[in-house]
Amino acid sequence: MAYNGGPMTEAMYYVLLALMRPNHGYQLMHAITEVSNGRVNMGPGTLYGVLSRMQKDGLISLAENDGRRKTYQITTQGEQALRTEYGRLKALIADSRILEEGDGFE
Amino acid sequence: MGLSKTVRKLRPSDYWRIGEHESWFSELAAKGLHLKKMGIHFARFEKGQPKNMRYRIEVSLKKRIASEQIDIYEESGWEYVTSYQSFHVFSSPSDSDAPELHTDPAEQSFTLKELDKKLTMNASIATLGMILLIGMMFAIWFLDGTPTFVMVEGGVMQQSILSIFLGYLAYTSLQAAISIRTLRKDLKEGKPINHHAPWKKHYRLHSMIAFLFTFAMGLSAIIPFYQLVKMDTKTLPEESSHLPIVRLADVEKNPALVRDESSYMSDNVDWGNRYTYQWSLLAPVQYETDEVGVVPGKVWADESGEYAPSIHTRVYHLSLAGMADNLIEDLIKRHAYDYRAEDVVTTNHPGFDLIRVHEKEETKEVFASKGKVVIYVRYHGYADLHSVIENVEEKVEYF
Repeated sequence: MAYNGGPMTEAMYYVLLALMRPNHGYQLMHAITEVSNGRVNMGPGTLYGVLSRMQKDGLISLAENDGRRKTYQITTQGEQALRTEYGRLKALIADSRILEEGDGFE
Repeated sequence: MGLSKTVRKLRPSDYWRIGEHESWFSELAAKGLHLKKMGIHFARFEKGQPKNMRYRIEVSLKKRIASEQIDIYEESGWEYVTSYQSFHVFSSPSDSDAPELHTDPAEQSFTLKELDKKLTMNASIATLGMILLIGMMFAIWFLDGTPTFVMVEGGVMQQSILSIFLGYLAYTSLQAAISIRTLRKDLKEGKPINHHAPWKKHYRLHSMIAFLFTFAMGLSAIIPFYQLVKMDTKTLPEESSHLPIVRLADVEKNPALVRDESSYMSDNVDWGNRYTYQWSLLAPVQYETDEVGVVPGKVWADESGEYAPSIHTRVYHLSLAGMADNLIEDLIKRHAYDYRAEDVVTTNHPGFDLIRVHEKEETKEVFASKGKVVIYVRYHGYADLHSVIENVEEKVEYF
């Protein structure tokens, strides 16, 4: 299923986020844990699935391929999608203000 | 290192039941049997120390798994074991800190997309093939309305077994397509694969079907050859032989009768005076014979030429007596060329379970059965019907 600009899965979002700095598969898992402050521990299966799908969709590309180890980077299209998603998430947060203010419905 | 010993085991359930295979591999590893290779029906294990292992089966989009995928998994503590079709098995000791392969079921559902497509395609093709075959079988059996005859002659035995085989294939491919589609849907909804799915549930049924299947396929391969080997045609001996067939001389009762040497000789067989032996599963003994004689000096009443009576016999020894009546019906349908099947008269005779006769000028036909034996005789000559029936009665006792 090609990415159509809709809400991203958490896995997609964090892989794109981590790939703001080019990285390769195994290292990426740690980068994601780091960038999420230990909240997201992505399994290698999920990571590989997301990587191959987003590469097909043109959101990421190969920066380097020295035979065994592939290094991925985010594409302009990918960064655009990430920023759009970030904007959407920010709007979500903004809309959730009422939860912070307490009894907003009274 | 001691001698490593290989153990083969029949796979406990259908190849697409991922969770059941994973739990099966784990249970065996705990008993010291470590998976090495997975084939179509058998898995190969190596005997070693019992170990608590986790097994995970990955489905790849392409048939081959990418080396990059294997690398990422191995770096995370998952060792690649073996592949079958687009299924790839990885293992990791239970006490290792290797992370679960899939932390997001919805993402995992994408990995099943290609397999889902392929299985749906297979199921459609298999179903279409089965429908075509059923149509063909139906035509062979029922087009001329003599299904018992066709079955007894044995020509469609292999096709019948083959269509059962194809039917089963269509059924399993449909099952595969449906269950992978369901799994994909479940994953999408966030339900992860049960890595401890009970495999024993399908084990007995699966191995029984596998056994029956091998047996049926073997049989269908052997039967046509066996039929060919058993089938034989020879020139009928002049002397009354041990064959359970009605002889022309016994019906004619005329010492002046001599054999009319046929003009049709082939492979050293006189096809005008021959007997053919055949075997089939439903009628292990079958004879078909022709015999022609002449009485020198005697002419047909219409002076059309020398009197040359002939006889044609078909004898069946059936496996099931219950088929006899239907076979007689079919034989009548097949032989009623210039008259209607309704013109064949049922008569009473203590020597037979069923006897039906037809007489038209010089041609007398008898369709008779007793127990598992069915005899059809068509006699053309001046001897009377009674004489033909008498001889059939004698031969029916032969078995």
